[in-house]
Amino acid sequence: MANQLFTDVSVFDGTGKKPFAGEVLVQGNRIKKVARGKSKIERRGVDVIDGGGAFLMPGLVNCHSHTTYLDTSSLAEVGDIPPEEATLKAAHNARIQLDNGLTAVVSAAAAKPRMDIVLRNEINSGRIPGPRMKACTPQLISTGGPWDARQMHMHHESFEITCDGPIEFRRATREMIREGVDIVKLAISGDNNTHPHAAEDMTTWAEDEIAAVMEVAQSRGVWACSHARGDDSIRLSIKYGIQFIHHATYASEKTLDSLEKRKHKHYICPAFGAIYTALHEASDWGVTPEFAETAGFARELEVGCKTMMKMHKRGIKVLPYGDYGVAWNPHGTDNRDLEHFVNLVGFTSAETLMMATMWGGEAFAFGGTPEMGQVKEGFLADLLLVDGDPLADITIMQDKDNFLMIMKDGEYHKAPRRRRHTARRRVAAAE
Amino acid sequence: MANQLFTNVSIFDGGGKKPYSGEVLVQGNRIKEVTRGGNTIRRDGVKVVDGEGATLMPGLVNCHSHLAYTDMPTLTAMGDVPPEENTLIAMRNAKTVLDHGITAAVSAASSKPRTDIVLRNEINSGRVPGPRFRAATPQFVSTGGPWDPRQMHMHHNSFEIVADGPVEFRQKVREMIREGVDIVKLAISGDGFADHAPEDTMTIAEDEIAAAAEVAHSRSIRLAAHARSDASIQASIKHGITFVHHATHASERTLDMLEKAKDKHYVCPAVGIIFATLNEASDWGVDREWALAHRLDRELEIGCETMMEMFKRGIKVMPYGDYGVAWNPHGTDNRDLEHFVSLIGFTPAQTLMMATKWGGEAWAGDDPIEFGEVKEGYLADLLLMDGDPLADITLFQDQDNFLMIMKNGEYHKTPRRRRVSRRRVAAAE
Repeated sequence: MANQLFTDVSVFDGTGKKPFAGEVLVQGNRIKKVARGKSKIERRGVDVIDGGGAFLMPGLVNCHSHTTYLDTSSLAEVGDIPPEEATLKAAHNARIQLDNGLTAVVSAAAAKPRMDIVLRNEINSGRIPGPRMKACTPQLISTGGPWDARQMHMHHESFEITCDGPIEFRRATREMIREGVDIVKLAISGDNNTHPHAAEDMTTWAEDEIAAVMEVAQSRGVWACSHARGDDSIRLSIKYGIQFIHHATYASEKTLDSLEKRKHKHYICPAFGAIYTALHEASDWGVTPEFAETAGFARELEVGCKTMMKMHKRGIKVLPYGDYGVAWNPHGTDNRDLEHFVNLVGFTSAETLMMATMWGGEAFAFGGTPEMGQVKEGFLADLLLVDGDPLADITIMQDKDNFLMIMKDGEYHKAPRRRRHTARRRVAAAE
Repeated sequence: MANQLFTNVSIFDGGGKKPYSGEVLVQGNRIKEVTRGGNTIRRDGVKVVDGEGATLMPGLVNCHSHLAYTDMPTLTAMGDVPPEENTLIAMRNAKTVLDHGITAAVSAASSKPRTDIVLRNEINSGRVPGPRFRAATPQFVSTGGPWDPRQMHMHHNSFEIVADGPVEFRQKVREMIREGVDIVKLAISGDGFADHAPEDTMTIAEDEIAAAAEVAHSRSIRLAAHARSDASIQASIKHGITFVHHATHASERTLDMLEKAKDKHYVCPAVGIIFATLNEASDWGVDREWALAHRLDRELEIGCETMMEMFKRGIKVMPYGDYGVAWNPHGTDNRDLEHFVSLIGFTPAQTLMMATKWGGEAWAGDDPIEFGEVKEGYLADLLLMDGDPLADITLFQDQDNFLMIMKNGEYHKTPRRRRVSRRRVAAAE
């Protein structure tokens, strides 16, 4: 492919700064040049794409993805799907994510042991479309932990690997590393609406088990993420250096202090979407508002939102997305999370998009030098051209027709098309 | 989609008769009208596709398909592929064969228990492109049967289910029927590739065949047999196994039996794999010396003679089979049509009739599904070929010669212009 030059675009570079009118040149899989103003970059020998004033930004990064979850309404239903069907559905989900502008995802648990790994390999081989992906284990849980679906008289599965005791956890972690995961998931706290004795504010693991998993992971250069709603589970996640702390709802002031001290080592994904939809939109699946209230979803959402704002003020990195892939919070609606960050938590649209791009790219690097997530010379060309101004209306990210172009690694997933509004509804910065 | 009218086409209707110039109208998923001559079908409200004299014919049917096989060079290499990767590979293979005009396939064994089933369901749901598909079990073998790769000290898999004794066969056939197969495959004879179970031996006992067949028949599930040896072919006939694959070493007596039951059986020799192993497999360590030591030259020669003899007796012989290994990979299936002409001596018209009309009939079995012919009321599985396949049967080996591929009234490949400026086939002049 010839070099691609995007002209007449409003560049949101991912840092959260005000967009500027400019031009961006892509060569191979990288951003070669970014210029302010017009006619700054040589046209000869390149394909010129006239953006018509549209919004050029880095691809979105979801750091709490469940690409292989199957949009089901119950635990046992996920477990009942055999690996063959689950693999095909997962391939479909990966394309849906990329169709919606998610050019990179860090998984926060696979549906089955090898599912993420196989999907990542298939995407990397170029045989199916999908985002850059970090592959995760299923949820590692203890017996009676939040997603233990077994009955005393009969085996069932959900999306878990059940272990008890440090040796079993050590072996399971080693096994998953042998299969090729990038990240292990520890379901340390309980969760709303599971077993009464695995509630969201309880810790379902013993400390020696967390230590065992983290010892193996760290010795093999594999990252970790935790399901951690209760204060104690967040404290343990920090103590053992778990990089992605998911939910982190009930962090106490003391826990916030220790997180602030280590703020360069952790990323927090609250994953509000599933809680919000369970509260308001899940009646069709038997999750009525009354039930949601009893299950503690309202409190979870209210406290979680306050905690995220506190963290952000302390400089702790909070990221959008998470838990898309269940019936009432399905794949393809991930970008509602950006709206939740603005409407429910109170972040600005620019802050939210910075979290979803620059911080996401940094998190995806897993401690290495970030190479994507910004419109910056030398960075990987994961780029979106958006029809409209998401800083003025963050909900435009929810309609995939608003993506005029989707590029991953310098290649078009969606080739550039003209803006839909003939009136040239230019975004402010490009005027 | 509007009704599609193919005009100015040379129609090979699948029956083996001389093609004629005419027009074909498709409405929904069926062939609505077939006429001889030009300007015979009303144009208003239809989309007219000018065939420019190209050949319109039924889609090809492979009745010895292994879509789930992974183009691997060894048994254990296939067994080593986990179910997730195998599913994705099978999905790609399904598209590859449809790209080559194969619009329907009957499996002659899956690679793993559920791979065929899942693939069929995914194709039927419209989520992945692929041919109409009958899903089979893996190869049922006995301990030490041709594809038992286990070692005494270590487990291995190939593409088999191992069973011993009638009760185990019964239980495992029931299990596969529960999972949703259309075809149960029994590896009754040995095979030239297996040192411990050569092609002229029986590896499943008759009580085991009876047990499997009893369960299958009682549930209206058809069977297929790997049957190279004479005794295995006889057992296949005796137990009502519909698809008798290979059938190389049939004696006169067996041919008599088969002739009497000729409306109940289809024979697929699968000569491609033998030909490729003899001549083209040395890159994978299978040189000619190895092939000769395993008597593959004899297998090919006798097989070809047997097929011609069967055809003369009115027994239905069909092309294709065993594509899906490294030196006989998916996408080269249509070489089998050439083998039928150049190795056995069938005419191209006979070969294409086998691959279309007979294939459609074999695929359907007792189900009221009609395709395989360009005939009013039949399902619209159609190909438009750039050239005259009766003059050059190798035409099917180049994907670019398919100007259009339609399955169930929908385009898998939308019609395009002929590549050579108006190279009309004789019949359309």
